[in-house]
Parts: sequence; C-alpha cells; structure tokens
Amino acid sequence: MTSIDLGLAGISLGAIAALSGIGLLVTYRTNGVLNLAQGGIATLVAYVFREMVVEWGLPIWLAAVLALGVLSPGIGLLLERLVFRPLARRRASAAESLVASLGVLVLILGITAGLWGLGSRSDAPSIFPADSVRLFGQTRIGVDALAELAMVVVFAIVIGLISARTSFGRQIRAVVDDRQLAELSGVPADRVAAAGWAAGTTLAGLTGVLLAPRFQLNPYGLTLLVLETFAVVVAARLSSMPVAVLTALGISILQSELRQFTLDGDAGQILTVLQSNLFIVALLILLLAVPKLRELGGGDSGATSSFSSRGAPPSGRVGEARYRRDYLGKLGGFALLLAPLTFAPSDLRSAFQVPALALIFLSMVIVTGYSGQISLGVAGFAGLGALLSLKLANGELFGLPALPGIWAMLVGALLVAPVGLITGYPAIRRRGLTLALTTFAVGAVVSRFVFEQPTFASGLYIDPLTVFGHALSDKAFYILELLSLGLGLLVVRNLHHGRLGRALLAVRDHSSGAAAVGVDVRNLKLLAFTVSSVVAGLGGALLVHSSYSFAADDFAPLQSLLWFTAVVVFGADSAIGAIVAAAFIVTIDVLAPAGTSTLAIGILALALGWMPGGLASAVRGVLRLLAQYLADSFVDPNQRAPRPVPVRISAVGHLPATAGIVGNTGLPGIGATLGAARSGHVTRWPLSEGALGPLAGAPAPTPFGAALVAAVARYAAAQADQVTRVSGSTNGSGSDGALVGSAAATGSAPAAGTAARPSTASGTGMGAGSGAGTGVRR
Amino acid sequence: MSRGVLQGVGLVRRYGGLTAVDHVDLVAPPGMITGLIGPNGAGKSTLFSLLTGVEQPDEGQVLLGTTDISRMRPDIRSRRGLVQTFQVPSLFPTLTVADNLLVGAENRRRDYAGGLLGLSAQGRGRVSRTLGGLLERTGLAPKGPVDQVVEEVLASLGLSDIRDTVAGTLPTGALRLVEFARALCAQPDVLLLDEPASGLDNAETAKLAQLLRQTAARGVGILIVDHDVDLVFSVVDQVYAMVGGKVVASGDPQTVRDDPTVRSVYLAQAPLAAAGQAQERS
Repeated sequence: MTSIDLGLAGISLGAIAALSGIGLLVTYRTNGVLNLAQGGIATLVAYVFREMVVEWGLPIWLAAVLALGVLSPGIGLLLERLVFRPLARRRASAAESLVASLGVLVLILGITAGLWGLGSRSDAPSIFPADSVRLFGQTRIGVDALAELAMVVVFAIVIGLISARTSFGRQIRAVVDDRQLAELSGVPADRVAAAGWAAGTTLAGLTGVLLAPRFQLNPYGLTLLVLETFAVVVAARLSSMPVAVLTALGISILQSELRQFTLDGDAGQILTVLQSNLFIVALLILLLAVPKLRELGGGDSGATSSFSSRGAPPSGRVGEARYRRDYLGKLGGFALLLAPLTFAPSDLRSAFQVPALALIFLSMVIVTGYSGQISLGVAGFAGLGALLSLKLANGELFGLPALPGIWAMLVGALLVAPVGLITGYPAIRRRGLTLALTTFAVGAVVSRFVFEQPTFASGLYIDPLTVFGHALSDKAFYILELLSLGLGLLVVRNLHHGRLGRALLAVRDHSSGAAAVGVDVRNLKLLAFTVSSVVAGLGGALLVHSSYSFAADDFAPLQSLLWFTAVVVFGADSAIGAIVAAAFIVTIDVLAPAGTSTLAIGILALALGWMPGGLASAVRGVLRLLAQYLADSFVDPNQRAPRPVPVRISAVGHLPATAGIVGNTGLPGIGATLGAARSGHVTRWPLSEGALGPLAGAPAPTPFGAALVAAVARYAAAQADQVTRVSGSTNGSGSDGALVGSAAATGSAPAAGTAARPSTASGTGMGAGSGAGTGVRR
Repeated sequence: MSRGVLQGVGLVRRYGGLTAVDHVDLVAPPGMITGLIGPNGAGKSTLFSLLTGVEQPDEGQVLLGTTDISRMRPDIRSRRGLVQTFQVPSLFPTLTVADNLLVGAENRRRDYAGGLLGLSAQGRGRVSRTLGGLLERTGLAPKGPVDQVVEEVLASLGLSDIRDTVAGTLPTGALRLVEFARALCAQPDVLLLDEPASGLDNAETAKLAQLLRQTAARGVGILIVDHDVDLVFSVVDQVYAMVGGKVVASGDPQTVRDDPTVRSVYLAQAPLAAAGQAQERS
C-alpha cells in the first residue's frame, strides 16, 4: 500500500475518534462534566444495535434509528435527570462529578457484561455498505470513511453555529458559568444541561456503532478504545472543537502511516505496538505537554476532600481516647480476616485474593483518601509489582540472580517505587482531571507496552513460595498475605498519624494553604505516590501468586477505574473500607456470574450522591444513630448525658444559644449538676465567661432537690400514655422558655425550697406532676 | 539587620503586553507594620504573589535578610520565615483548630521520613538532634517545642475553647483568627496578610488591629494588603501606594495621604477621606 492509501485508511478511524471527541466536548462544555462513561455508553449502544440486527432481525436502518435516535439520547436524558442534575443542584465539586461518571461507566460495564458476557463477538453489523469509491487512479476510499467524515463536518458546523450564533448557545455559556445565576436570570438550565447530555451520549452511541464492526465487540475492549480518544479532547484543551477534529484525524492517519515501516529488534517491537496504540501514547504525551486544560469552574476538580470526610485522628487526649475505643473493632476485623483459615481448601483459595486486593485498595487510600490526588493508574503499579517479582523469582530481571519467591515479591514491589515517583511528578503541578487522565494514561501505556508484550510477560512460571526450603501450604500462604496486609496497614497508619498525617491532610484540604505555612507540598505528593505504588506493587505480586497466573487482563487499565470507584464507594479515607471493599468484590465474584461485582459497585457509586463520604462514613453515621437510639431507649433519661446541641456561633467569643442547652435536657434545674458532663460539649465552642452566665446563674439544686427532680421525672415517664407537649412557658426558673409540665414544678422547687422547705417542695412537685398529668419525652 | 527584613528590589512582572508590576522597590522591616494600598488593578495582588512565591518576577529580586528568595517555592520561603495568609481563609477544614496550628508550628523543619518509618518521638528526637546542628546553620531549626508554641498562641488569641473544634465548622470571623494563629505558629519573621479584614465586622476588625500591633511589637515585620483603608491607616507605620503597577507614594501614613497623586486617585473615594479625617481629628 502506498502512503496515500494508508492515509486514507486512517481517515475512517480518525473521523470516529473525532465524533467521540465532539461528543465529549459537547457534554463538557454544557455541563462541566468530562464524561468518563462515554466508552461504556458507546459499548452498550453497540451491543444493543447488534442485538437488534443479528438476534431480532430488524433492518439495519430501523435498528440504527432506534439505537441512535431513541436509546442513546435516552441514556443521556436519564443520566442528566437521575445522576448529574442532583449533583449540579448541590454544586458538587468537579471531582464528585468525575467519580459519578466513573460510577456510570462501571454500572454500564456491569450491565453489558451481565447481559452479554465478557466474550468477544465479531459479527457486529456495519451501518454503511462495504463499498469504496474511486478517487483517482488506483486510489479508492471507503464509503464508510466518506460518510463518517461528512458526519464530523456536519456535527462540527452545526454545533459551532449553535454555540456561536444562537441564543441557545448563549444560554449554554451562561449555565456553564454559573448554573444558579443563569436560572435566576430565567435560563432554563435543566433543559440546556439535558440537551448537552443527550447530544453527548448520542455521539457516544454513534461512536460505538461505528467502531464495533471495525474491531471485536467486547465490553472492556471497546470501552477502552473510546477512552483512548480522550487524547483528542486533551489536545483541544477541553475547549476547541476544530483542534479536536484535526488532532483525531492527525493521530489516526499517522498511526496508519506507521504501518509502512518495519524495524528489527526492540525498536521494531515498539513500532508494532505504536501502530495500534498511538492514541494512548498521544494521550500521555499531550497530558504532559499541554500547559493547562481549560477546565470549567476554576479547575477545582482536585478537591477530593468531598469524598474523604474524615480528618486526622485528633492529637492529644481526645485522640488517644478515641484510638483506644477503636481497638475492639480492629480485633473483630482481624478475627474475620482469620476466618478463611477454617474454610475448605477451595474456598480458602478464593479468599487468597482478599488481602491482595485489599493492599491494592490501600494504596489508593494513601493517594486519594489521605493526600487528595485522583489516581486512575493503580492497576499499572500492581501489574508492574507482579511482573517484576515474577521476573526476579525467575532470575530474568537485569541479569540479577533468581531470588526466593518471598524476597522477590518484596524487592519487586520496591522496584515499582521509581515508577510511582515518576508518575508523581506530574501530580506536583496537576490536580483533578489532568492528574486523573495522566495516571490513567500511564496505566494504559504500561499495560499496552509491557503487560501485553510477549517479550516481557510470557514464559513466566510461578513457583510455589518457600520458606527455608519448605513449600508454603495454602494456610501458610494466606497467613503470609495477612502479614503483608498488616505491613500495608502499618504504613497507612504511619502516614495518617502525627506530623506526617497532619501535613498530608493539610495538602489534601488546601495545598496552597499548606505551602503557606511551610508544608513541603511537592515532596509530600511524591512521597504519597511512591509509597502508594509500592503498596500496590506488593498487592499485585500477591494477587498473581493467589491466582497462579499472570494475565494482562487482571491489570488492564479499566481495572484501575473499577478499583478506584470501589475504593471511593467504600470510603476513600478508610483503611477498613478498603479491606471490606476487597472482601465484597471477591465474595461476589465467587458467588455470582462475571460482571456482578462491577454492577454492584456501579449501583453503589450512583448512591454516592446520598452518602458523600462513601459507605465508611455512612456506616459511621448509622452506628452513631443506632447508639443514640439505644441510649434513648434504655438509659434512664435522668442518667443520660445531654446531647450535643447544634449551636451556631455568630462571632468569636460568644455563644447566643445557651438557653437551648438547658431546654434540651428537658430537666431544668438539673442543668447545674450535669454541668461537668455538659462542659464536655460546651468547651467545643468558643465560650466567654459572659456567655456562660445563664448556665452558671441557674439555680443549683441540693442533693435532695436533685433526687426530687429525678423522682418527678420518673413519675412523669410512667404517665407516658398521657404524653402531650406543653407549649406555655413557666415562671419557675425563668431562665429558659422550653420548660415542660412536670418539670415546671420542679423548676420552681429548687429555686424556692433549696434548703428551707423540703416537704412543701415535694408536695408541690408531686401535685403538679399528677395534676397537670403532662410530661415530655424526647 | 540581616535576618527578617523583607525587601523587593526592582520587581517587574509582565503579562503579555501589560506590566502589572513595574520596577517596584519595597521594604518591610521587622517590628513594623507596612501597608500596601491601591485601587483595583494597581498591581497589589501581583506584587503580593511575587513576595509569597506564587509567581516569580521577570526582573528584580525578593530578598529575605540577605538571601535572594526570588526563585524559591512558597513552602521554602515559609520555612525561612516568610509566612502568608490568604484573602479567603485557607484552613484545613477536616482538622481541628489545634491541629491546624500544629501544622503551622511543625513545618519549619522537615522530618517526614521519621514519621513514615514510625520512629517514636524519642527516636525522632535523636534524629533531629543529629540534624539539629545542620538545621541551625541553615536557619531552619524550630525555635521552641511545637506543642508549647501552639498552646501559647491558642491562649494568647483566646482560642483555647475551640481548640478541638473541626475547622470546617467555624464561621468566617473565627476562620480568619485561626488562620492568623496558624501563621503565628509558624513563627514568622515576616507576615504577609492579604486583606485580613475582609469579612470581619467592626469589632472583629478592631480586635485584629490590636493583634497586629502586639505581633509587630514582638519584632515581626508585617505587610498588609487591604482595600480597607480604615484598617490600613489605623495600624500601619508606613504605607506604599500603588497605581498602575508603580509605587506612587510611600512613607508614613500622613505623608502618603497628603500626596497629590494619591489624593487624585482616591479623591472621589469616601473611605479614605473619612479615614483621613478620623485620624486628623484624633
């Protein structure tokens, strides 16, 4: 083939990549969401299209209309309404939208894999006839390429005209600038956003339908192809449509032109890989070369604190007390992790993956949960750890002597550190979207150029691990895994505690604020990336040993996305969450058909909107509620410590709502005796002496008075069937307006009869209690 | 006179054709409060970024003491004693107030490796003692035990009651104060404050002014950039007035206020006039 023929052959793929890029840009410019689910949607639509044509026997034109005119925009409208509109309403950060789109991707992958399996199909129908048109001489161009090129031109012009010349275009810009403000000025923001989504997903569907017949139809493969077209929008710096189109055509034609060259040796091999992977290489290079993406909304998308809700364990006494309380939970968790040792041999082998996966997840807790970077390339680190340790064990690495298996694992994991360090460098200046894409590209490049290459990744054999010449039994291997997990947890603990932990969280919470007080932001980010890559590498090495094989698919770039989503779902800043997530995924994979765990993670990811801190913080919240409920049900109200009262401070130094605290116990007068207990809450707020006035000035009951109050309260509780709320205030202590019936009398009792007339006070108390017949329970 | 003087010498910063900062010389001596005023677009913020290290000058030098820090990153400048606060308070919302301050206090010295290896405080102590001499010579050594510094600052600013409150739950006034406290914990030689009074009510502003004077009295040099000319003229010892990227007047507040260029720029602006009258009356 001549150079011209090759170039023309590249046009078709380039046009499809351009369509995908236009779709991404349309969604981004109308909603501020870089739709990572684009690939998933393309795959789903392609599968449905094939189903309609091949299985149902519909004519191609009808199937195309249904798939592209109904299904694709329908998906967009649905996503906008159910997922992204709620996020936009509460002004969720770009990081949350990014994770939501990851959730959608994972969900769609789960659905696709669940419905059609993970196998490849090569019978995807093509919309266009397989004809070609003669251009000149012997040179011909395919009808599909011409049609696709025409579509690109039409879409680009139409969208360009809409955004530049119509009032709708102006509305789009207004909505993207400030959705709330645009709505206040009468712009139908929801409709604009929905239109953007519908257009974006339609183009995604079109991409899928056009790509499927050119390659094999396979849930992960096709999705990845579409994700590679992100190179196009990066080149366009997320804004310029013509640049996107030209880049798409340029990369594709160049990739096609590379086919006319052949080289020998290693260079030849790299060339071969480049001939089909130029897009992913371009993505990485562009991300490193393009100075800055034109992110919408100030590019705050690095602020991952929104899904890592917890701070450092507080220093000082408070922290120690809380830490001690945690021991029980930790012991319980450890016992659960030991449980597989009692399993049948086959089940124990299934459990092998849990600690390995947990280590990989822990590595993401370090990078995302503790230092606030979005990293979507963890599978690359894990795979490298696995590969390097196998090579070391086989004695094939840099001429090093063969190491015993266990040492090979540790050294192999450590050898990942330089890669982590290098990946961390872009993270110094980049946050959010750019960093997410960069790490993803690193993972994908490593996967394509290393894991999938026979020179590196074939002919490796996995020897059973030995200790002092004895092969490890299954149980011993599991214990080794737990020890490794323990090591990982130790590293995580050290990263989360003390000065280092505070500094990392400071970087996560506000990196320029951290730099302003001397925190070494640069080295801390590098440290997080490096340590995380080692932990992931160790996890990867264990994973390979637990499945007895090295498969490139286990460390495919899409795995990173799935794993990242799982970690965020289970609480990005929770080490326990990481272990639970691993157990969850492995359990489902063992019990249910392939793809089910992906589906489950996807569904949970969409629920993130309702539980911003992930499952870990949701569980923390539920436990708190449960504890509160138990306390309310079983603890005598008199013995109960007062609840913390939400108090707003208007300025430093005074607290306007002290009366509310007294009222909330429901038992005036008892306030002072509980003073010590209450101070635990009160001192959390800036209180001046003056503000404490009403509390300190409240009548202090004698021991007898307090006993009396308790007796009356118990009596009132016994009258529970007559419970009503008394709205009127009393003149008893006068210090607060939330006094209630039975308490009204007692309120006056200590005031009036502190020492002098106990019997009368008692009489009044009982009388009022029964006479009014009211009480209050809260 | 070597340590602790912040100096800008012939600073220039251009954006394309626009010269935002045009050959500016500026000195913020220790123990004095220096103000930087100017209308919007005068180049105050750019100059501030050049001093803090967020941006680097096209020409000229930023000196701290005798050291040229023009090319240093903000965190390195901070460890050398040049600490800034932000226009929008920049606390770490998930940490408690005390921990926010600790981050400030702890980071004039680096020993993250010790933390990672899980060395005990004693172990780390040994390591720091070994490194101590070295740190002393580079001027990076901490000036006192960290916890003690934090407790002192908490107490002196009246923040002890909220020491265990998570910073994200505080109102703006408190945020500003805590951010100021955090900057103090870093034991600065020079404090750079970007609009410290924005978002504060009158009482809080007055309290802030008092705090600034106390801090300066302890030998810290303070540079304030603020639109609130009331605050600036009420606390500063010297003022620089910028217009169009250049310093048009500098000196004590009285001189600057009487400067014809400053007057012409601010003539229509009531706050300055009011401030001037207020001070003349007093």
